Amino acid sequence: MTPPAAPNFADMEMRLVYAHTLSELIARNPDVYCLEADLGKADASIPIVSTRHPANFINCGVQEANMIGVAAGLAREGKIPFCSSFTAFATRRCYDQITISVAYANNNVKIVGTSPGITQGPNGGTHMCFQDLAIMRAMPNMHVYSPADAHELRAVLFHMAATRQPTYLQLIRLKVPPLFPEDVAFDPQRARRLHEGDDVTLVATGYMTRFALDAARGLAAEGIGVEVLHYPSIKPFDRESLLASARRTGAVVTVENQSILGGLGGAVCEILSEHHPVRVRRLGVPDRFGEVADPDYLFEKHGFGPRHIAQACRDLARRRN
Amino acid sequence: MENEAWTRERLDRLAAEFRFVVTDAICRSGVGHLGGVMSLVEIVITLYFRILNLRPEEPDWPDRDRLILSKGHAGPIVYTALAYKGFFPKSWLCTINRNGTRLPSHMDQILTPGVEMTAGSLGQGLSCACGMALAAKRDGKRHRVYCIIGDGESNEGQIWEAALFAAHQRLDNLIAICDYNKMQIDGRTAEVLELEPLADKWRAFGWETFEMDGHDWDDIHATLLRAREVTGRPAMIIAHTVKGKGNRETEGLVDCHNVKIPDEATYRRLMEGLECRFELPY
Repeated sequence: MTPPAAPNFADMEMRLVYAHTLSELIARNPDVYCLEADLGKADASIPIVSTRHPANFINCGVQEANMIGVAAGLAREGKIPFCSSFTAFATRRCYDQITISVAYANNNVKIVGTSPGITQGPNGGTHMCFQDLAIMRAMPNMHVYSPADAHELRAVLFHMAATRQPTYLQLIRLKVPPLFPEDVAFDPQRARRLHEGDDVTLVATGYMTRFALDAARGLAAEGIGVEVLHYPSIKPFDRESLLASARRTGAVVTVENQSILGGLGGAVCEILSEHHPVRVRRLGVPDRFGEVADPDYLFEKHGFGPRHIAQACRDLARRRN
Repeated sequence: MENEAWTRERLDRLAAEFRFVVTDAICRSGVGHLGGVMSLVEIVITLYFRILNLRPEEPDWPDRDRLILSKGHAGPIVYTALAYKGFFPKSWLCTINRNGTRLPSHMDQILTPGVEMTAGSLGQGLSCACGMALAAKRDGKRHRVYCIIGDGESNEGQIWEAALFAAHQRLDNLIAICDYNKMQIDGRTAEVLELEPLADKWRAFGWETFEMDGHDWDDIHATLLRAREVTGRPAMIIAHTVKGKGNRETEGLVDCHNVKIPDEATYRRLMEGLECRFELPY
């Protein structure tokens, strides 16, 4: 019997990549657990994990606070629980439970926030969370990751299962275009330079990275050199790569699928203002709530879509020159 | 473990000594949760000296019973039990709530040997206990997980989330105890937020529910033994207790939740409110 062909993760919805990879991690290590709060079907852990590994699959029902506590108890006993829900419910709804039972106690729980920012789409403002990177980054003991494609997601999940570290992961559930090779490595201490240029630094994470890369490629044709730094880890944050780039370009644009308060742009400004002040433009959602809308509408409304990224880079590159 | 030598007289004496030491230790720090500490003395002694299977010299022994104090503000009474069991020197007790201590007001699994779970933000410990009990089930382990919650803490929605979850998962290795002293910070539980009928609520949530006098040695011991025999569902023991028990200055007083000891006179008054005097172990 020939073994089944390896799945082509690059062609999958990211939620399927998550579920298949988690299933693979449980097969390798039976201490890995999958916890859901009645969104298992949305995350595809039902049926992918629930049928292959029923003993390692726990549906807590619609109770995110209890799910975090159960996960902390499992972690205290040596298990490696991955707890998933929409970003709003995985973070802000149970922020104190994560703070005390997970981070303060340093219990090895992995929290997975799905459908970040504008990708929440039709569920609208109640579900559309723009603060999760900021609030999770503000928590001591917590790592915060936001991978940009399927292969990077897999590398991040393998890293999470292998390290004893409370972690928050932003999981895009949609299918996204591939950016990285199948064997891409993940090191939370390292940003990735995806495009070279000397005129302006463009810093992105998660869902926005591919738009940043597209903008840089387009601007190259205009003679504007954009250095794109992709941060799969917002915390820890690779400050050296940022500073080295900012010293060379003298101008930084940040773009994130989040509020511009306290997330990626906040992290960049904290570092630059203390170590190498340069002009910065933060793109993302200004101090606003979400709404029922598609990404293109929200890009236009809040000014952080592809054309805004390009324009911000042009503006800063021109000022510099 | 169970020990025939635990006569009522010996237990009474140990309880009096615990009350003396823990009151002194809390008073030395200037402020502390005396009321909810004193209501748990008999229950904590019975658990640590007669029920829990522990190895103080090996705090992480995998087959030990687990105790989670979800009402984490009563930490000092558990610290006293842990010190007397030999998890750490009794001399640590006088550092409770002091700068740099390993015995903070609320339970901390990182700082204190023998503390199973960090707790203090109310409502969280019972969920953690569910996770620990579930892990034991999955691993085929035979130890039990005990969890003490407060009555004021039972205002928290997370307690009732955990109540649903534990029953659904049939966690019969989980035994919870509610320290029902009928007082919370702002007043009597009946005035702040009524819990009654409390036992009916736990029964309705699918828990085998017991009630006991939380200061009666025989009742505590017998009820804990009965709770261990429950199969197919978690057990809840509602312990009727008296806040501030065993000190004339605090017993039954609504305002004894977090007591301030600003001066020597207050300290002396609180110490003199106790039944007996003992030599301090520090």
